[in-house]
Amino acid sequence: MSSGSTLTEILINGVSRGAVYALVALGYTMVYGVLGMINFAHGEVFMIGMFACVYAIGIFSVAWGNHVLLNLGLGLLVAMIFSAGYGYANERIAYRRLRKAHALAPLTSAIGISTFLQYFIFLTVSKQNVGFPRYYSDMLTSNHIHLGGVDITYLQIAILGLTIVIMTGLFYLIHFTRFGIALRATAQDQLMASLVGIPVDRIIAFTFILGSALAAIAGVMVSMYDNVLVFDAGYRVGLKAFTAAILGGIGNIPGAVLGAMILGLTEALTTLGFGSEWNDVSTFAVLMLVLLLRPRGLLGERVADKV
Amino acid sequence: MAVIIAASVAFVGCQKSSNTIKIGLAAVQSGSDAAIGATMLNGAQIAIDEWNAKGGVLGKKIETISLDDEAKPDKAVNVAQTLVDDGVVAVIGHLNSNCTIPASRVYSDGKVIQITPGSTNPQYTEQSFPYAFRICGRDDQQGPVSGAFLHDVLKLNKIAILHNKSSYGEGLATEVKKAFEAKGGTVTMFQGIGQDESDFRANISVIQGSGAEGFFWGGMYGQGGPLLVQMRQAGLNVPFSTGDGCFDHAFIDTVGANAANTYLSFGKDYHAIPAAQSFLQKYKEKYQSDEGAYSVYGYDAANVLLTAIAQAGTTDPDKVSAIMKSQPFDTILGKIQFDAKGDVTQSGYVIWTIKDGKFQVVPGNS
Repeated sequence: MSSGSTLTEILINGVSRGAVYALVALGYTMVYGVLGMINFAHGEVFMIGMFACVYAIGIFSVAWGNHVLLNLGLGLLVAMIFSAGYGYANERIAYRRLRKAHALAPLTSAIGISTFLQYFIFLTVSKQNVGFPRYYSDMLTSNHIHLGGVDITYLQIAILGLTIVIMTGLFYLIHFTRFGIALRATAQDQLMASLVGIPVDRIIAFTFILGSALAAIAGVMVSMYDNVLVFDAGYRVGLKAFTAAILGGIGNIPGAVLGAMILGLTEALTTLGFGSEWNDVSTFAVLMLVLLLRPRGLLGERVADKV
Repeated sequence: MAVIIAASVAFVGCQKSSNTIKIGLAAVQSGSDAAIGATMLNGAQIAIDEWNAKGGVLGKKIETISLDDEAKPDKAVNVAQTLVDDGVVAVIGHLNSNCTIPASRVYSDGKVIQITPGSTNPQYTEQSFPYAFRICGRDDQQGPVSGAFLHDVLKLNKIAILHNKSSYGEGLATEVKKAFEAKGGTVTMFQGIGQDESDFRANISVIQGSGAEGFFWGGMYGQGGPLLVQMRQAGLNVPFSTGDGCFDHAFIDTVGANAANTYLSFGKDYHAIPAAQSFLQKYKEKYQSDEGAYSVYGYDAANVLLTAIAQAGTTDPDKVSAIMKSQPFDTILGKIQFDAKGDVTQSGYVIWTIKDGKFQVVPGNS
C-alpha cells in the first residue's frame, strides 16, 4: 500500500474521530451559549445513552426477534428519551436553583452530578466494559464504499452526515425560528426576556432536553464505532469534546464542529507522524496556541458583543 | 494524652493476639480490567476457604480483606497502606504491574509478604525487596516466546507493535521488540496509546501503511478486544499476537467472530492436569462461571503462602520468606521453586490461540 493512500486514510479517520467529538461538543456549547455555564454532566448523559440503547435492543430482540433496523431505530429512540429525561432532571435538580448564584456554584454542582451519575451507572449497570451487540452494528461497520483508493464504512459516513445535519439544524433553529429568538433573548438577559413574556424556565429546560437527546445519538454512534461501552466513557470522550468546544469558541455551534475536526485531525496526523503516544502533547499544544492567539477560541464571540 | 496512647497500645496489642490471621487480597475489581482481577482473587479465596475448612493455619482461622485498586497506581498505594494498617500478615496481589510495583514498597516497609499471581513486569522483583514474590513468569521470559513464535513459527519478517504505555504493556512490548529484532526481524512501527482511548483506526492505518506482516499488542483485553475488531473491520487480517493481559473470556466475548489468527502468550495449559480438576469444579460451583486464567495462579499463590506459614510455625515475615525461598512447593501448575529475587525458576510460557470460543494451546510449542 502506498503512503499516499495511508495519508488519505489517516485524514478520513481524523475527520470521523472529529465528528465523534463534535456530536458531544455540540451539547457542551449549546448549554454554554444559553446559560454561560459548563455542563460537565453532559458526558455522563452521553454515556447513559449508550447503555440505554444496548439494553433496549436486548429487550426488543427478546420481545420480537432480531430485526436489525427496527430494533436499532427503536433503541436509538429509547436512548434519546432516556438521556433527555436525565438531562431535564439534571437541570431541574442541580442547576435551576443555582442560576443566580455565584458562577462557581453551578460548576461545582455539575461536577458533582457528573461523578454521581458515573458511579451510579458503575454500581447499578456495569462495572466492566460491555461490547456493542455486533449483530446490530455489523451492517454499518463491515460494509463500506470505495472512494479514491480507500474504504469508508457506512458508519463513518453516518457519523459525519449526522454531525453536519445536527449542526445545520441547530444553527437554523437558533438563528431562524421563533424558538431561536427566545433562546437568544434568554441567553442575553434572562430578566428582560421574562419581562417580554418569554418562558425562560421552559426555554432552558428545552435546551437541556435537546442537548441530551443529541448526546444520546452521539453515544449510540460512538459505542458502535468503538465497539465498547464503559461507565467512564462520558469522561473519556467528554474531556476531548470539551477541549474541542473551547478550541472552536465555546458557545458557538459551528465553532464546536470546527474545533472537533481540528482535534480529530491533529490526533490522527500525530499518530502518523510521531506516534500516538504524542497525541496529548500535540492536542494541547494546538489548544494553547489557539487560545494565545484567540483567547475566545477560533469562532468565539468577542466579549463586547455580549454586553 | 497519655490515656489515649495507652488505650491505643492496648488496642494494637489486642489486635495482635486475636485468633484470626489476616490476609489481604488486592487487585483491580472494577473498570476495564475487572474480570481478570476479580477471578484471580476468587482463586485465592477458594484456597483460603479450603484451609479454613481444615481448621485454618497455626490453629487460627484465616480472615481475608479484599480491596479494589481500580488498576490505578495511586489507589494501589492507598490499598497497600490500608492493608498494612489493618495488620495483614501477607497480601495476594496485585494484578497490574503499575499497581504491584508501587504497592510493593509499602508492603516492604510494613514487613508484609506479597505474592503477585499476575504481574509480569521484571522491575517488581528487581527492586530486591525481601518479601516480594511472584508466581507467574516475567515479561523478559514472556516477550521472547512471542517474538520467537512470530519469527520462527509464523515466519514473519516485519511486525508492528502497539502498547498501552503502562509498566506492563510497554514493558512486554519492548521485550517482544528486542526478541524479534534479535532474530533478524524488523519492527515497522512501535507506538503507545493512552489507556483511555478506544478508537485505534489511525494506528491501524499506520500499521497497514508500514507493510507489517504481523502485529503485537502490549496491553489489556479491555482495549485489545476493540482493537482486534477494528483491525479486522479495516480489512487488516495479519496475525494478531498479544500477551497474558488479553487472556480472559471477556476478550473472546468482545472479538466474537473475529477471533481467527489470534495468538496469546500465557502459562501452560492446566485443563489437562488432574490436580486442577477439583479446583476447576469448585470454582464453577462457587462463582457460577468458568475460571479466569489467573484464578489458578491466585489459588497456587495462596496455597504456597499458607504452606510456608504452616511450616514456619509463625507469621514472622522473615521466617516465612526464608522457607519460601528454600524449598520447592507443589502447586496445580507443577513443582515450583522461588529464586533469591522471589521469581519462579520455571516460567512455562506457551502460545495459545482461540478456537471454538475457547483458548487452546497451539499444537507443537512448549
